Amino acid sequence: MTPTLPEILRGNFACLATPAPPEAAGDHLAANVSVIALLNLLGAQEAEQGAAAVLAENAAIEQVLAEDAADYDASALTNDQGSPDARNAELRRALIRLHETAEARGDRALDRRILRLYRVMAEGRRLVLPPMPAG
Amino acid sequence: MTLADQLAAYLSRTWGEPVAVRDLHRIPGGASRETYRFDAEAGGRTRPLILRRDPTGSLLDTDRQVEFLAYRTAHSRLPVPEAVALEPDGAELERPFFIMERIDGGQAASPFAAEPFGAHAAAIGDAFFTALGTLAALDAEGTPLGRASRAPAPGDCWRVALDEWAAVIDRDEDHPQPIVRAAIRRLASRPPPPPARVAIVHGDYRSGNVLHDGGGRLLAVLDWEMAHLGDPLEDLGWALDPLWDHGEPGRACGMVPRAEAVALWEGASGLRADPAALAWWTLFSAVKGRAIWTTAAREYRAGGCVDPVLGISGWYVARRHDEILAELLEGFAAA
Repeated sequence: MTPTLPEILRGNFACLATPAPPEAAGDHLAANVSVIALLNLLGAQEAEQGAAAVLAENAAIEQVLAEDAADYDASALTNDQGSPDARNAELRRALIRLHETAEARGDRALDRRILRLYRVMAEGRRLVLPPMPAG
Repeated sequence: MTLADQLAAYLSRTWGEPVAVRDLHRIPGGASRETYRFDAEAGGRTRPLILRRDPTGSLLDTDRQVEFLAYRTAHSRLPVPEAVALEPDGAELERPFFIMERIDGGQAASPFAAEPFGAHAAAIGDAFFTALGTLAALDAEGTPLGRASRAPAPGDCWRVALDEWAAVIDRDEDHPQPIVRAAIRRLASRPPPPPARVAIVHGDYRSGNVLHDGGGRLLAVLDWEMAHLGDPLEDLGWALDPLWDHGEPGRACGMVPRAEAVALWEGASGLRADPAALAWWTLFSAVKGRAIWTTAAREYRAGGCVDPVLGISGWYVARRHDEILAELLEGFAAA
């Protein structure tokens, strides 16, 4: 999993709160501050959309799995009531198995459906980078 | 003892005369090696130098000897600084490092910068993709890197590369990644045609790893830590990855249109970029990128989340590459 928002924010604090050695001050420190600013900006997007994106992804995967329930081992899904991220991991593993099955069987229609789902999943997690000056 | 003191002690011992280290500063970026600029003063002479030292945590677990030999190989053939010294055991600096000449007056483009080359994008693109083609045309045999590396058979280049980066994902993944897994399977099931010849591959040839003078001239090709022998299309596919387009879709490395980049490379290399092979290496590049960012996320956590470059690599860049992978996969499947 990519780093979580709490990890990012705690890390940003720790980076800024730790004194840099003399040779790492100047340009290196300035660049780190710039990246931290960017991380905070992206963090605001994640705070607004991240939780909903995981739930939407879980629902989208569940829908494809439900449409093709005969093609994967549904018993492997435990209907975990834990965190959305844990559920997401379980659903992603089931999706991998389903895709492998579709490929082995040469099921082009299911393959295309899953490839479209991948685009939905990736777009759902998108973080938008603002245009940055060349500087 | 400061790093400057350690460096002065090392240079004084190896050069056999007192050396003073001045203006030692860490350079931004360099998530796989700590990079410092400094001046070494000895015998009334000042040498502008760069120190590349292994970090405690890294994006890439690469062999600094390979990087050192790659610099030695490319120097005098391309705009590449001369490698000066290598210490695989770290000597006075405690961690492995090497030293090379410094090229002053250059700018490196941040991957997040919009239009980093301004009005000189076409001129830089010409030099950039011509230099890459020149590298592809170079006979590796007898070069320092060629002597130290095992060349894969042409038909095995794709497999060696794919196995390496798939193994990185196996090792470092801590959350299932169906998109990159699908890409790996698709690449394995539809190998590219073999290259006309095995060549030196830079391994990370992109806009941010060159220095330019701000006026359209390419000053230096840097960051050779992933250099190896393989299919020269590997570098072209990496340079064409949409991740490096600086917000201008279809403009390779934010410099020139993709077709023009390919034509420049073909002209300088004397090779043809077979479209099917290039499509394979383009999708492969996104897999390789996703593997690197997966490692970045692992290293970010392992290091206490204090390195923001690893953080943004393992987070924003990883997600961006998922988008690129998903888009490329649909096209690859339809081809």
